[in-house]
Amino acid sequence: MRALTYTSFLGIACLVLEIFNLRKIVVPVVVIALLAILGINFTEWNGSSVSFYNDMLRADNFALAFTGLLIVTAAGLVAMSGSFYDTEETKLADYISVIVFTLCGGIALVSFSNMAMLFIGLEVLSISLYILAGSKRRDIRSNEAAMKYFLMGSFASGILLFGITLVYGATGSFNLAQIALYASGPGVDPIFVVGVIMILIAMLFKVSAVPFHFWAPDVYEGSPSLTTAMMATLSKVAAMAAFYRLFSVSFVNNFSGFAWILSVVAALTMLVGNLTALNQDSFKRMLAFSGIAHAGYMLLAIMSLYQNTANALFFYTVAYTFASLGAFAIGISVMKRRKSEKIEAFNGLGKSNPFQAVALTVFMLSMAGIPPLAGFFAKYYVFFEAIKTQHLAVVIVAVITSAISVYYYFKLILAMWTKDSEETDAPAGAISYIAIAAICLIVTLALGILPSLVPSINQVASK
Amino acid sequence: METPQSSYIPIIIQAVFAAGFVATMLGLSHLVGPKRKSQIKDENFECGIKSYGNARIPFSVKYFLIAILFVLFDVEVIFLYPWAVNFKVLGIIGLYKMLLFMGLLLVGFFYIIKKGALEWE
Amino acid sequence: MTLLNIFADPHISINHYIAVSAMLFTIGVFGVLFRRNAITIFMCIELMLNSVNLLLVAFSTYHHDNSGQVFVFFIMAVAAAEVAVGLAILVTIFRNLHTIDIDELKNLKN
Repeated sequence: MRALTYTSFLGIACLVLEIFNLRKIVVPVVVIALLAILGINFTEWNGSSVSFYNDMLRADNFALAFTGLLIVTAAGLVAMSGSFYDTEETKLADYISVIVFTLCGGIALVSFSNMAMLFIGLEVLSISLYILAGSKRRDIRSNEAAMKYFLMGSFASGILLFGITLVYGATGSFNLAQIALYASGPGVDPIFVVGVIMILIAMLFKVSAVPFHFWAPDVYEGSPSLTTAMMATLSKVAAMAAFYRLFSVSFVNNFSGFAWILSVVAALTMLVGNLTALNQDSFKRMLAFSGIAHAGYMLLAIMSLYQNTANALFFYTVAYTFASLGAFAIGISVMKRRKSEKIEAFNGLGKSNPFQAVALTVFMLSMAGIPPLAGFFAKYYVFFEAIKTQHLAVVIVAVITSAISVYYYFKLILAMWTKDSEETDAPAGAISYIAIAAICLIVTLALGILPSLVPSINQVASK
Repeated sequence: METPQSSYIPIIIQAVFAAGFVATMLGLSHLVGPKRKSQIKDENFECGIKSYGNARIPFSVKYFLIAILFVLFDVEVIFLYPWAVNFKVLGIIGLYKMLLFMGLLLVGFFYIIKKGALEWE
Repeated sequence: MTLLNIFADPHISINHYIAVSAMLFTIGVFGVLFRRNAITIFMCIELMLNSVNLLLVAFSTYHHDNSGQVFVFFIMAVAAAEVAVGLAILVTIFRNLHTIDIDELKNLKN
């Protein structure tokens, strides 16, 4: 788990660069360093699943794969932050260090094997995001988003902590393997069950699943767009992976009751997310509801826990992350140029910037799950796992809702291609947005054609 | 966790004494002390300068910033406690780790100095 | 001595601690849900965290395991960081809105 150590030091290094007034070089330095850490991360691939620091962290393939995904996402966000924060150059290094610290939290979240690391990872991730959400100090909407996010986030942390404490009370350990040992034994204490339910509620809060989703649209809409992109990709993926890791290692043996709860939650999440997304006219708000719906699809993978679901979840998160990151890259560029966050701001993009319009169309189609794009196989794998574990009813809901989702994704696509804009001469926008969008486009297309490119992370469950 | 009742008695005595002392002193000063009321006497005293305005105005953010930074750096010190209790067992490795921790805190400290968070004016 | 029996029941079990913590936690939860003043909500969140701290220390003694107490250190440090950020957000809101009533936070849709 060297990636976590190096990333933490990279965050500190950003602060040091700021101390020595070197903020001109901070973006390239951090992007290169993140790519280097990505390389280092995968040298441990297929290793002996080593544990670190008294089994606080465990570098199994699951952890390494998600760490890699998070690092790539963070590198993309940092690359965009140079042009996103072009009006606030004095604070650029601060923002970037906070992004890197968010990544640290995310890495801890996907590789923990002790409840303490789960808690610390979640808090590092959330606190950094509170800061970023409120980083437009003069903008009342940003303040409001930060406040709502903070209140909901710390409330969920409180519930999570109480759950962890009750589980500790029943088992006498914070270690996931020890907890799993207790859970598979005879005679489980009632406070253990209460604890697991509280942890479940807190995790559902964090991944913004219905009925704990109400904070997400407001927070997504009010935050600065780059932070919204981060919440939609990095934070959601990390929380989802943590959710999966926690349940697949610790609570898998008495899972049947929780699977029932989760299937109801997943169905509701998909329904509410997709149906509410239908009549949104703000780009960010629409993606927020779409993100809620995608959380529902990812919950399918957690619900049907067994050997292969980690692969399905990983493929889904990869497909979702790249589509979402690319959509935000173009969305930010367009919203910045047109100074509007409405879907109408995308009118006429097909004529003025054909490449951006094509890329955004592909991302939208991938999110809707249209073959042969990555999103189609993502949904296919997840549905397949759910059917294998006899959750047919939920899968039917999932298929119907993803058909509904095509409608609102097409609303954006139609706006780009069929409607005209009064503004004729739109400049192309900064090169970094285009580059990130191009990379995401390549990945989305490549995974659609060759889904086997995503490595299998089957060795996960080794104790 | 099981304690005989008698060991609680000193605590009770202490609590009664503390509460009683406060109550007695407040009561005594209220009874014995001189009382004279007039408009000038009831006015807030502020170094002899006539007070004006409301006290509940937004105060300078400097106080807030320094208070928050104090809380942060103060609380991080609790990680020294486990080390201080066990530093013999943890040995030289523990010392290095603690130095690393303090070094990271120091980076943060230099950072806030550089950002001008501690400049009073 | 009969009066002291309530205070010095020799059979305080772990259940008493669970009950007290659960009550404190519930007070915190209800405070967060029903109070409108942001500072009060912050204090209620702190109350939730501190009820957890109390319970962790109790369980730690109960299991003769120190890791619970170490966890409390983490919670304290993290809670300090969290409240620092929260108060900073609160100050920016107060500067812009001149209120800390969370019902006034309705500039975003819904």
